[in-house]
Amino acid sequence: MQLKEIPITGIPYDQLYIEKIPATPEYCRRPAELLPAGNRSVAVNPNRTCMPLGAMWAVLGVHGAIPFVQGAQGCTTYVRYTFCRVFKEPATIATASFHEDAAVFGGRRNLIEGIRNLVVRYWPELIGVVTTCSSEIIGDDMVSFLKMARANLRKEIGPEKADRIPIVLVNTPSFAGSHVDGYDRASRAFVETLATARDKPSGKVNIIPGLLYPGDIREIKHLLRHMDIEGIVLFDISDPLDAPLQPPVSLPYKPPGGTPLEDIRDMANSLATFALQPHAGQAGARYLERKFGVRAVVGPPPIGIQGTDAFLKTLRELTGKPIPESLLQERGRLVDSLADTFHHTMMKKVAIMGDPDVVLGVTSFILEMGMEPVALAGGTASKTFDHDVEAILAEAGYAGDPPLVVNGGDLLEFEEYLKQLPRLDLVIGNSRAVDIAKELQVPLVRVGFPIYDRFGYQKRAIVGYRGGEVLLAEIVNSILGYQYPDDRTHQL
Amino acid sequence: MTRKIAIYGKGGIGKSTTQQNTAAALAYFFGKKVLIHGCDPKADCTRLILGGKPQETVLDTIREYGEEALTVDRVVKTGFGGIKCVESGGPEPGVGCAGRGVITAINLMEEFGAYSDDLDFVFFDVLGDVVCGGFAMPVREGKAQEIYIVASGEMMALYAANNICRGMIKYAEQSGVRLGGIICNSRNVDGEKELMTEFCAKIGTQMLHYIPRDNIVQKAEFNRQTVTQFDPECNQAQEYKELARKIIENDMFVIPRPMSMDEMENLVVKYGLLN
Repeated sequence: MQLKEIPITGIPYDQLYIEKIPATPEYCRRPAELLPAGNRSVAVNPNRTCMPLGAMWAVLGVHGAIPFVQGAQGCTTYVRYTFCRVFKEPATIATASFHEDAAVFGGRRNLIEGIRNLVVRYWPELIGVVTTCSSEIIGDDMVSFLKMARANLRKEIGPEKADRIPIVLVNTPSFAGSHVDGYDRASRAFVETLATARDKPSGKVNIIPGLLYPGDIREIKHLLRHMDIEGIVLFDISDPLDAPLQPPVSLPYKPPGGTPLEDIRDMANSLATFALQPHAGQAGARYLERKFGVRAVVGPPPIGIQGTDAFLKTLRELTGKPIPESLLQERGRLVDSLADTFHHTMMKKVAIMGDPDVVLGVTSFILEMGMEPVALAGGTASKTFDHDVEAILAEAGYAGDPPLVVNGGDLLEFEEYLKQLPRLDLVIGNSRAVDIAKELQVPLVRVGFPIYDRFGYQKRAIVGYRGGEVLLAEIVNSILGYQYPDDRTHQL
Repeated sequence: MTRKIAIYGKGGIGKSTTQQNTAAALAYFFGKKVLIHGCDPKADCTRLILGGKPQETVLDTIREYGEEALTVDRVVKTGFGGIKCVESGGPEPGVGCAGRGVITAINLMEEFGAYSDDLDFVFFDVLGDVVCGGFAMPVREGKAQEIYIVASGEMMALYAANNICRGMIKYAEQSGVRLGGIICNSRNVDGEKELMTEFCAKIGTQMLHYIPRDNIVQKAEFNRQTVTQFDPECNQAQEYKELARKIIENDMFVIPRPMSMDEMENLVVKYGLLN
């Protein structure tokens, strides 16, 4: 379908556009050849964070688990600070506390003593050992060190107690990837270490949500509940990172919820594994498929009509259970909302940034609203991102100008590209896009990780039909707040 | 099953020469399928097998073209006797971290399945001493299970061999790596064989083979060949054949008992080599 501007009388469409304040005299355009991140040796506004963060996120989503970071204190402090800003929750994370001597002699002693201290003080149900740049560069032989740590524990607290605490090792040299890759590696490390096949299939489905917020995970569970399907959500941060404020049940404080250990062990017996965010979780899903023959369903993210449709249809196909009327009604309400607001969203130009799967999911959704993507920046380098974008645009029959696609890299190219566009209505992305949106004088709709300058975004969902309504409302209202509707032509 | 072997020894002792000649003998005389992974940043562990052809190393490829450009075909070359060769490469001398380079290269080769099951032998040729965690990578869990140390009857070579044993016992308990023996690359000094035999007995291993000194090795090297390729009938080629046979049939794998410095000194004094 070729979209044409709706002929209107009164104030023409393009006159509603707010004049931008011209750039300051000091502003000068950057040389075009230096815009792509690959041509520069400096990152400007990185669109990602470090690999261990993704792995720590994952470990916190396991019931009673505590991450142990084999590195310097800063590697832990930064992540705890970020989690605290984003989730407004404390995150218990232990550190090997590398100092100068660990860099010279290796981190063996730090690990063995650190694990011992963590166990005797906190008695975690599981320890997720997360490596860092420094321990990887030193060449710490973590597999051997962990065996020694285990032997040391057995000596001190007895084999029975010591062997009850599983230790999962996640290698996360940050120079080899981003937080998204860290989560992906964790997904594989956990199923590889823990999943065990039994004789009988369980009839459950595994869900690896990726870096979705507690609200999103609750929405996924809502969909499963209405489909009458039992699911195992690995890594279920919905309770640990959005915990109610109640008197502690025990000291030291342990957050409620998280994926039970037994469930992770049982993942080898499920019908299928959904990696809802292919870049964050695919490794785990693929491992289960290779090793145990559990089918891997990799993407698309259940964002918008098509994304959620695909998720529910695959569930129906796997279990033979019908999609219930209640969910069809939710879908109907989202379709209704789309129809009710299309005159605000049609042909609006939108730029999207964030983790690749969020960008892809949201792109698919804004195309359903008739919006036009002008620039898409996925912060984690991906082998499939460019191709996925093309496929989504083709699927939607998008015939406008092809958007700028930034795969990996930073936000400089994205920003400079947007600055020279004649028209932009909206930026969708995380809090790292705040300054860009402010400079461009367009609204920013916040989705994805991290959102640290607003409250409550981690509690709401953008996945599923109901999440789609939330996101749609936010997009529409941002446009309305920005381009105050002319009552004759843009009646609500 | 693929036997994964790491070769260690003091710098300049003839590790790479011995290792390539042994690999050539394994392939030529015994029809074994062999892969050599050179872990020396200088990337000179495979030139005799490849006839001196410069080989694009794993880390060169990553540095010049990025990780996406890396494929097995690009960095694994086949030389004499169908022996597959790969070189880790590494940073320029004096910069970066060569140890991490070894870790990266081995991880990538594993990821790409370069150490395939149809191979009989995979050799890791590691530079000089075990200087940091990276250079111990080949003996971590699930990697090389056997170590051979190349040494000669000189004090410094034995010091190095003893030191390598000290490094290796840290790994032996956890990863199950074992010492298969010492290969004596002779320097033709007095009492060399006796000294080596006693040294081996003291640390609890065997002198797997004594390779006599022969100029044909150098001659073959000038021709960028192993002795086996240069002249398979010559005596030296037969020595490497014998070494290859002993490796194939070897069943003595031990955790070494490295000597104390005093014991080392006494041993050397006994054989009158301390000048």
